[in-house]
Amino acid sequence: MKLLKSIATLTFLAVLSACSVEPKPIPYGEANCTHCNMTVSDNRFGAELVNDKGKPFYFDAAECLAAYLVKQPELQQSASFVMVTDYTNPGNLVDAKNAHFLQSEAIQSPMGMNLTAFADELTAKQMEQEHGGRILTWDQVQSAVKNDTKFQR
Amino acid sequence: MILSFKDKVLSILSFLILFTSGQPALGDTLKVCKSCSYTSVKLAVQQAKAGDVVLVEGGSYQESGIEINKPLRLIGKGKPVIDGNNTGQIITVLADDVTIEGFTLQNIATSYTRDDAAIRVIERNNIRILNNTILNTYFGIYLQNSNNITVKGNVVKGENTGKTESALGNAIHVYYTDNVAITNNIVQGHRDGIYLEVVKNTKVHRNTSQYNQRYGLHFMFSDGNTYTYNIFRNNGAGVAVMYTDNVRMEHNTFEDNWGAASYGLLLKDIRNSVIYNNTFRRNTTGIHMESSSRLDIKSNNFERNGWAIKLMTTCIEDTFRLNNFTGNSFDVSTNGKSQLNHFEHNYWEKYSGYDLDKDQVGDVPYRPVSLFSMLVEKVPPSVMFMRSFMVDLLDNMEKVLPSIIPENLVDEKPLMKRIEHDNDRKLTQVLRQTAGTP
Repeated sequence: MKLLKSIATLTFLAVLSACSVEPKPIPYGEANCTHCNMTVSDNRFGAELVNDKGKPFYFDAAECLAAYLVKQPELQQSASFVMVTDYTNPGNLVDAKNAHFLQSEAIQSPMGMNLTAFADELTAKQMEQEHGGRILTWDQVQSAVKNDTKFQR
Repeated sequence: MILSFKDKVLSILSFLILFTSGQPALGDTLKVCKSCSYTSVKLAVQQAKAGDVVLVEGGSYQESGIEINKPLRLIGKGKPVIDGNNTGQIITVLADDVTIEGFTLQNIATSYTRDDAAIRVIERNNIRILNNTILNTYFGIYLQNSNNITVKGNVVKGENTGKTESALGNAIHVYYTDNVAITNNIVQGHRDGIYLEVVKNTKVHRNTSQYNQRYGLHFMFSDGNTYTYNIFRNNGAGVAVMYTDNVRMEHNTFEDNWGAASYGLLLKDIRNSVIYNNTFRRNTTGIHMESSSRLDIKSNNFERNGWAIKLMTTCIEDTFRLNNFTGNSFDVSTNGKSQLNHFEHNYWEKYSGYDLDKDQVGDVPYRPVSLFSMLVEKVPPSVMFMRSFMVDLLDNMEKVLPSIIPENLVDEKPLMKRIEHDNDRKLTQVLRQTAGTP
């Protein structure tokens, strides 16, 4: 009886944990970008959106995530997580709202907008000095994506 | 009289000698070998004058950072090896009219901040990169902001086992460069075999691109290009054409691009392009199309794919004619009811109609989308019911009384026989006959 009870509790816990809403690591090389369908392959640029139900959507670059949100603005509010990759820490996701973006011709990103994200403001500034370009916030990234002629057509 | 004749002959002769010997006399030849006056390629290139030939003889040279800053021909005789020993880029071209031919270039390490390549061309014209072998490098050939480049007969092989995707560069990477001819190359083991970003007027012809982690050939924002007679095999996915207009894709083979998220050809946001005479064999999905309009898809073979075509409802005014669909699990699948595309005169192996008037065109229309394929599109795991009795029953009921499958996605004139694309005469016969039917 005791055994049965513990099994029941364990199963219950397992079910609970399966439902928890949290970001999942991006399966590089296996997932396709939700916006552009390109294989998500470069772990310096991947991005992720987790919706209110905990379902993850993967993107090959921050500009694709931004374009997806621009298309469906209601997701902006309902999404549990909107994450981008820290360029200096490949494979590591950070909150897009707190990230600092550098747009520089010197660093090419997968979708042609030359965007890189940094968790740390100082690193972003250093990279800007080293490579040139401009620093953007997440909101500015979205309006840049909205106005990009070759990407949004 | 005789003298003047002699003079004439002499002057003609001397003119001929001058004329024919004039060409090589333009530049000197600097030899590089173990026992020559030059033992380093770098030094010879530095010492050479514009128009010279640097002739490197067989052997191994441990060098990197060779900068070519004047027009010259760098020729390898007997396949000399230049080994970068993971110390950075091997050859950088900083001058117009340069030829690099006959080398083996190897060993460049991955760098996250510098895209090191075996050969990089920066803002130059008229460069020829011929018959080189490039092994185990981050990027192979990297062309940026240049014009009029020939890349021919090269082999670019990366080492991709046990590496993550971002540790790999592209074999041939073309960035903001126009008028490139990429011919007869073999590219494998990189991220993308051939990558084109903002490239115009480029021909990709007779290349083999295989075992690359992501794509065999990848277009981004590159209008007005052609790729013909290439083989794309065993890549993460075959070819991705994205955000691009006016592409000609003819006589290519897309095969064995297999995996959960894989396809032979991905079309995303492309317009006014043609896809003629290609073969799609054993891919998870032959063509995946979205937001793509005014495409002419004609005379292709779709053989033994999981899905021959995935046609998203964002596609409009695409035409599918004279294609063969044989041995595919699903011929066409889509994600909604609205369909503004046109299917005509295709051969569908699954077609079970009849041809009473013997005009080689089936008398009843064929609907290539099955109810089950719509279901699988909505609920992917339901694919496990494939070929079950219930599914067959559903599909047949739907065939009789279509309610869920898109009504307009239909081939009104399906052909009874497989089309032999090689035999044009037969083809025109079929066309002529079907044109006559009311």
